[in-house]
Amino acid sequence: MSDNEGHSAAPPSEEDLSLPKATVAKMIAELLPNGVTCAKDTRDLIIECCVEYIHLISSEANEICEQDAKKTIAPEHIISALKRLGFETFTAEVEDVLKDHKQQQKVSLLVKHMTCGLRLLQEREKKVSKLELSGLSEEELLRQQQELFAQSLAKYQSTQQ
Amino acid sequence: MKNKNKQTKFPVARIKRIMQKDEEVGKVAQATPVVISKALELFLAMIVDEASKVTIERGSKRVEAYHLKHAVETVDMLDFLKEIVEAVPDPSAGGTIDLEQEQADKEKKKRGKGKKAEGGEASTAPRKRRKKADKAKDEEDVEPEEEESVEAYSRRLHEEDDDYER
Repeated sequence: MSDNEGHSAAPPSEEDLSLPKATVAKMIAELLPNGVTCAKDTRDLIIECCVEYIHLISSEANEICEQDAKKTIAPEHIISALKRLGFETFTAEVEDVLKDHKQQQKVSLLVKHMTCGLRLLQEREKKVSKLELSGLSEEELLRQQQELFAQSLAKYQSTQQ
Repeated sequence: MKNKNKQTKFPVARIKRIMQKDEEVGKVAQATPVVISKALELFLAMIVDEASKVTIERGSKRVEAYHLKHAVETVDMLDFLKEIVEAVPDPSAGGTIDLEQEQADKEKKKRGKGKKAEGGEASTAPRKRRKKADKAKDEEDVEPEEEESVEAYSRRLHEEDDDYER
């Protein structure tokens, strides 16, 4: 996963695990009304609150996950946790983000399969032209291409069920 | 209106590491930290909103730690943060505010009109040059801003320019 950490490069050691100060400072500035700034120690305190919030939600979600007899904490567990902890007002936007994310994942997968199909076709063409000097007819190549795409699409569709 | 072009996001990998600091937390789906990132964004917006309300209520232009503390104590949703803000000193704790001292402080502050000219403030340590990553230019007051009396507030309203810094 890519890390939008801006200027920071090295990940912090286990104990210092917190959120990047510059990122949070920028977000706070974007949220405050004109004319109002945030004191430095207040910002640090806010960061502590954010980290605590992550722990709060994660802990609750973990319990829900166990009750669900699952081993991996899923986004749905997070959403349930938010509701249980009194953050229902967040769930609508959070569900939107989840939807977008799932959609993005589908597209990435489709692109992967299409690329795979194309590569197979290229390899096949190479082999064929080595064996048959005359090469395949245009119709035959087209047929093979369509077959490969159909295979890829079927494979993709089967993962969607 | 405030610039609402919010491109900045929380780092998703970092969130996952923070989650897994808790030994109880095991495997985490790839989409999960993404979803937490959004919840965190909304949480941050809420906490900043509540704290800045206190700031404005008290006639201040800078969100201080005890504004945040007051917000935590007032808003139910923020109950879980009570321990974190416990250590923050409350300026009105201890009863009476010394009005004379307060006015003397206000005089000192008014003398240095430009934010940079803090010659009036005693024992201000020379500020370190900030890295360009940290663009928020803060002012390190030696004294925390205290609750103003009504007269001091109205005096300030008439005399203070918009000398806030961004």
